Amino acid sequence: MLADIGLMALVVGFILAVYATAVSAWGGWRQEWRWVESARRATLLTVPFLTISVVIVTYSLFVMDFSLAYVVDVSSQAMSPFLRLTALWGGQSGSVLFWAWLMSGFVAAVLWRKWDRDRDLMPYFITVAMLTTAFFTGIVVFITNPFARLWHIPGTTELITAVFQPTGAVPYIPQDGQGLNPLLRHFGMIGHPPTTYLGFTGFVIPYAFAISALLTGKSRSDEWIRTSRRWTLVAWIFLSIGLVLGGRWAYDVLGWGGFWAWDPVENAMLMPWLTGTAFLHSVMMTEKRGMLKVWSVSLIILTYSLSLFGTFITRTGVISSVHSFSKSALGPVFFVFIGITFVASLWLLFKRLDTLKSEHELESFLSRESAFVLQNVLFLAITFVVFLGTVFPLLSELVTGTKITVGPPYFQKATGPLFAALVLLMGLAPLFAWRKQAASRLGRAALAPLVGSVVWAGIWGYTHRMHPASYFALWLVAFVVMLILFEFIKGIQARMKRGENPLIALAHLMGRNRRRYGGYIIHLGVVMIGLGFIGDAYFQQETQVALAQGESLTLGAYSLRFDNLEMYPGSDGREVLEATTSLFKNGEFVRTLKPRRDFFVVQQQPMTIPAVYPTPAEDVYVLLVGWEEIGFGASTFRMFLNPLISWTWTGGFVLILGTLIAAWPEGRKKRAYALAPGRLQPQPGLGGD
Amino acid sequence: MADLVTKPGELAGQEADVPNRFRLSTLVIFGFVFGLLALLGWGLVQVNSGQVDSGMAPDFTITSFEGETITLSDLRGQVVIINFWASWCPPCREEAPYLEATWRKYQEQGVVFIGVDYVDTEKEALAYIEEFDITYFNGPDLGTRISHDYRMDGVPETYYVAKNGELRGVKIGPLAPPELDEKIEELLAEQYP
Repeated sequence: MLADIGLMALVVGFILAVYATAVSAWGGWRQEWRWVESARRATLLTVPFLTISVVIVTYSLFVMDFSLAYVVDVSSQAMSPFLRLTALWGGQSGSVLFWAWLMSGFVAAVLWRKWDRDRDLMPYFITVAMLTTAFFTGIVVFITNPFARLWHIPGTTELITAVFQPTGAVPYIPQDGQGLNPLLRHFGMIGHPPTTYLGFTGFVIPYAFAISALLTGKSRSDEWIRTSRRWTLVAWIFLSIGLVLGGRWAYDVLGWGGFWAWDPVENAMLMPWLTGTAFLHSVMMTEKRGMLKVWSVSLIILTYSLSLFGTFITRTGVISSVHSFSKSALGPVFFVFIGITFVASLWLLFKRLDTLKSEHELESFLSRESAFVLQNVLFLAITFVVFLGTVFPLLSELVTGTKITVGPPYFQKATGPLFAALVLLMGLAPLFAWRKQAASRLGRAALAPLVGSVVWAGIWGYTHRMHPASYFALWLVAFVVMLILFEFIKGIQARMKRGENPLIALAHLMGRNRRRYGGYIIHLGVVMIGLGFIGDAYFQQETQVALAQGESLTLGAYSLRFDNLEMYPGSDGREVLEATTSLFKNGEFVRTLKPRRDFFVVQQQPMTIPAVYPTPAEDVYVLLVGWEEIGFGASTFRMFLNPLISWTWTGGFVLILGTLIAAWPEGRKKRAYALAPGRLQPQPGLGGD
Repeated sequence: MADLVTKPGELAGQEADVPNRFRLSTLVIFGFVFGLLALLGWGLVQVNSGQVDSGMAPDFTITSFEGETITLSDLRGQVVIINFWASWCPPCREEAPYLEATWRKYQEQGVVFIGVDYVDTEKEALAYIEEFDITYFNGPDLGTRISHDYRMDGVPETYYVAKNGELRGVKIGPLAPPELDEKIEELLAEQYP
């Protein structure tokens, strides 16, 4: 009964989305505002209907209504109530519904207030955004419906999944479900998938703005780009959180000692993040100087296309991944949708190139402008390298007949230098003036950080004589951190001259230039994340030893003693085999570590859960990889020393903090969108906000 | 705005210049996009085209857990049953006793059974073989090459190869008596020069 209401709400939501798409296009074309207003209301109305659907699916998962095929698929008696709720996005039907729901929420949020600016964009904005929403809702209705039931035809062993009763079939309601994929039974399930989805779906907003601006020719002025910048920032921050949480999850659950494996699904998230980041920078130039317009618009289109592309390659099984989503009928429909999106957007972009002329020429190679161009190029180059590695299995299969997967070494070697260049640019670019920069002044500004970082890297290199490349990496990090800190110090000093105390000066500095100093904080976060990658690339140590009870293994300053092994039934239908070990540093007891191996009985799937002792300098990461069946005599442990990894998580927090500082809406004065944006006069050494 | 302030002379110069550049970059970018779409489409067709179930059986060489090697094309004249399985797969356990019993029944008549262990760990796989007392040839599908060639979808799947090396169908899901016996009888009855 409840499921029927959910199904009806879903269908109504779909019809509303289709209606909004069609009517807004009509209204925009005929310039009849009442149609557009009707489309706007239909869009707003989509949200409550899809919400009803989502709530009912979630409730069915929670109460384990096994008459629904989706509930049987991802829920089970053994799962905790918390996991049953998260199962909403644990399988295909639920996650696509969740996706459509989030997207409709984003679109409605943009349309909530009647627009007093960019009004001409509204009709086609609705058309583009709601077409996408209608597409995803349509997939839920017609292809992967979470309200489908299981049916059984008497006399056969086959089960049919269908929304309506097939002829001759009787309903089949199992006693228990299969439950969520064990890898998904983790606390991370609450954070990583929803934030990632919010990031992916959020990019539809700037994309819809860009397309409607191109369609109406409004791309000539760049007011619209401010609005879409803000929405891009919203999507970007969620995607960033999703990336960090995903890395943390992999580190805690997958048990291979690292946090980033260049898996296709990870790359699928990284690529839109890269182009989205490039857009957020590029758009500053468009706002301030009326330049890089083609770049900015292309980057929006690319970001959105890449998030569709990522969804496509992973959801359809075209490129296999650890995130083994099953193959489905989604593929062909999705393919057509992606094809139309790519080609139509590009065609439109070329058609309207004349509206995207730059208002200024590049005046000097050493200027803020050229730094922005360079960063766009670097971001795009990294994206391309990642893209190539991701589709390489397909390419190689086409050419040679065998799937060749390129591993992490390719990605590390190919993106490492590009990332290094980008980080260097990140530190230096804020020193560049608009239009033209005198090299001598730049040299003076960068001198102290340069000397400081070289001395630091020299000392470090002298005391730790290994991996010469790491000296460079650590120098780079130190240099950039010092450059950023110097920016803060300069700003604070200037205010202190006016008699403010340092803390007040810092608060005022950040308060008055939130975009600028929030940006610096984001940059600091990026450098911290970079530290984790440097540790992973150069300094990770690893050993694997079989130990009898009471024996120890040693790695670096640490030693690990195997004390005991026990087996007990755990929650969520798993058998837990847990080792008790004692960790010593330089002979002194630090703490007890308990690496485990969980075995999910129903799914027959084992899972290796590491025990981690984190410190700012390094993590001790212990895995239980083997044991004797009888008597629990000896067990095999793999131990990693992961230096600097904690900085990655801290960096993630700092990055989010910086974004919040930069993006928090201005409280007092309303943003003067109605005014034509005043062109900023070139101010050497200022700007960057 | 920029085009409003551009002098007429400049505009003419630009227009002569733009179409050429425009056409080349357009061509390159559209070429790239269409190439990518073609690649994705082809990948999709590959993924969705289902199991290979007719024509010549894709050839492969597999090494057993004991280290013996077998090549499918060397087995012309013999009926070959290729079974994909894994120790972590519950339905495989359902069919395991029936498979082994059928093998013991027909091995005298030259029927070859090849168990292909799909994405598994050796320890668990060997325990499984021991549990069901499996005596026919079994080896891991290293790099999932064989399952990829047969476009296998999941375990268990069983492919029937006739004496002349052609595929004569595939069973998706666990086998139940007497379907394997019937299929083998049918294939044994075929003439091979």
